[in-house]
Amino acid sequence: MKKRQVISTVLATAMVASLGMTASAATEVAANELAYKGELEIMHYSTSEESEGNGGSDGFRTVLAAWDEAHPDITLTQNVLANAEYKTQIATLAAAGDLPDVFLLQGMNTIAWADQGLIMDLTDTIAASPYAADYNEAYFTPFKTADGKIYGYPALTGGTCTVVIYDKAMWAEAGYDAFPTTWADVEAASEKFNEQGITTVAFGNGGKWQANSDFLSTLGNRYTGPEWFQSLINKGGAAFTDEAFVKALTEMQRLFTETSIFNEDFNAVTNEDAREYYISGDAAAFIGGNWDWSYIYATLKDSDEEKFANMGIAVLPQPADATEAPTSQNIGLGYAIAINPNLAEDPDKLAAAIDLAQEITGPAFASYVAENYALGGLTKVADVDLSAFDQQTQDFYNWSYVDTETCEIYDSCINSAVWDILNTDMQTMMNGEMDPATVAQNAQDAYVANY
Amino acid sequence: MKMLNATRPKNKTLFLYLMIPVAMFVFTVFVPLITALVYSFFEWKGGPVKTFNGLTNYIQLFHDGTFWEAFGHNIYLVIACIIGQVGIAFVLVLMVNSKLVKCKTIHRTFGFFPSTIAAVCIGLIWNMIYHNKYGILNWFLESIGRKDLCQVWLNNSDLVMLLVTIPLIWQYIGYYMVIILSAISGISTDIFESSEIDGANGFQKAIYITLPLIKNTMLVCVTLCIAGNMKAFDNIYVMTKGGPGTASMVMAMYGYQISFSQSNMGYGSCISVGIFVLSLLVIGGSQALINFLTREKEA
Repeated sequence: MKKRQVISTVLATAMVASLGMTASAATEVAANELAYKGELEIMHYSTSEESEGNGGSDGFRTVLAAWDEAHPDITLTQNVLANAEYKTQIATLAAAGDLPDVFLLQGMNTIAWADQGLIMDLTDTIAASPYAADYNEAYFTPFKTADGKIYGYPALTGGTCTVVIYDKAMWAEAGYDAFPTTWADVEAASEKFNEQGITTVAFGNGGKWQANSDFLSTLGNRYTGPEWFQSLINKGGAAFTDEAFVKALTEMQRLFTETSIFNEDFNAVTNEDAREYYISGDAAAFIGGNWDWSYIYATLKDSDEEKFANMGIAVLPQPADATEAPTSQNIGLGYAIAINPNLAEDPDKLAAAIDLAQEITGPAFASYVAENYALGGLTKVADVDLSAFDQQTQDFYNWSYVDTETCEIYDSCINSAVWDILNTDMQTMMNGEMDPATVAQNAQDAYVANY
Repeated sequence: MKMLNATRPKNKTLFLYLMIPVAMFVFTVFVPLITALVYSFFEWKGGPVKTFNGLTNYIQLFHDGTFWEAFGHNIYLVIACIIGQVGIAFVLVLMVNSKLVKCKTIHRTFGFFPSTIAAVCIGLIWNMIYHNKYGILNWFLESIGRKDLCQVWLNNSDLVMLLVTIPLIWQYIGYYMVIILSAISGISTDIFESSEIDGANGFQKAIYITLPLIKNTMLVCVTLCIAGNMKAFDNIYVMTKGGPGTASMVMAMYGYQISFSQSNMGYGSCISVGIFVLSLLVIGGSQALINFLTREKEA
């Protein structure tokens, strides 16, 4: 009896001790003295489900909790919704003019909401930030208006939106040591895979945005080069009907209608369903974003060691008639911390909100995600020690931030109306029922009417 | 039936009791309708800024191909559901009511049961049925040897409207069953007995006796069916979100997409006014049509 008591006490202590051992950041949240005492509301989409396996979300929640603890006089109310619901809810609140104090702003809404006076101009505040010298300037692009004013602190982690995740063992069997660099090779491989009843590449466009964010955004860059999209953002004369972009749409249609590379139900299933095809072995590869990589990484690590060891990453293959940037992938921060302009009436509350925004995008967050997940945020962290991470994470870090060329994410910029029309038309186009020139023209009409 | 004056409450009491439900009704039905009408004359791209632009939204609506395509899909839904929901409900009621069927209550309960489930749940269940890899439909076709018929059902632009209508029909058959059943139970059995003596079979009884006698109830059912289907949304949203592309777009889904995905709330309000006006026209038109087809012949 006594022995059992001792053992159970030891186990209980170990359990409690392990609960206390949470991952911590090298840099602590700066516990600045704030004059404000009261409620502060923040709305975001880093739910606890999202944070499992997603380093950015985990870091976000951790730093928020640390900030809350460091300021006991301020009641931080967090309104958390899953990403799809968050987008609808924030749009509804924006329409009602009832946005929370602090919230996540999606790049494509910046210009429209700035015009409406829904978000605060943070240009000077950001310039005065104690961490300004370490900010990665490129990440601010989607959150600037035409006159250069900035409306948000880019939040969470800089991740790619287009990465090919493939099973090295399955592709080695088909005769490829690494994922093919051209679509022609992928098509050749697809013949072998189809004989075995395996989907070559899984892709899910059920939500309509995936074809844009996770595919076209990079494929387009391979035809147009980065200046075209920058000109589109700046209204510098580029148009959706430009030949290079129409070629990209044509190639996209060809890949989905004339080859048997992708799963048949690409328009009916979401990226969450399609990545399960990869995890279960029904597909040899999957194309998605960094959130999908994190999910696959976390799931395989727990459930299938062999498949986990065989996880490889690659850039989107280059089409035959594309001329630019064959190793480019679209990367950026899709959301930024924005502040409700109403807070200007209460300078103390505004100071508190600014402090919150600075801390959750500052070195506390950046060092946490760098040390625990090898990811990067707005603030640069010097000397990330990669040796502590497994091969997969090291490879992904180098692939995301070091070895590849980068390009902008289409739907972080411009306007949601334009992307909604393009995305809807693309779904029809990928079924072979609309020709690329019409898709381009409709997108251009929407661009002219709405931007 | 007039209330006995002795037990009728005072007018003031009646008014107070009714005030709360009427207030709720006005607030949830009329006020949004009026405000939608007002907003439809403004350019409102989300946020507090609204600029008056007169009939611009309505002119845009008139020329909007996607909206009229969605209207066509709604009409398809209406016709399919009148035949499916009301028609099948009528047939089922005749079957349940006949002398041959036992346990009538159980049939009625189970028939009504699907209409109590949220449309979202039904949409998700049917999504699973139509799933390309793991769905029952494809599994069934494979097991009877027709693998060539297996396809990605919800990605087929030609069939998707039909596929999305089937769960809707299935869900509301029971709803109309209950209404028609109560109407039929009001018909005295003498008429049926005398028709049987005259040698009428089941089909003749249904067409020449039952249907004319419950004409008013059928009119109500048809009106409810049209009204409900002109604003169909839940099933479509969960199953296809109007896709692929706009192949299963319906007016309410289009209004939602414009208002929230494209942040164009002024135009979205205009669409909802459009739905209201078109629904009234279709209902009025169908009532006139039915009255014309079943008018009493002048003696």
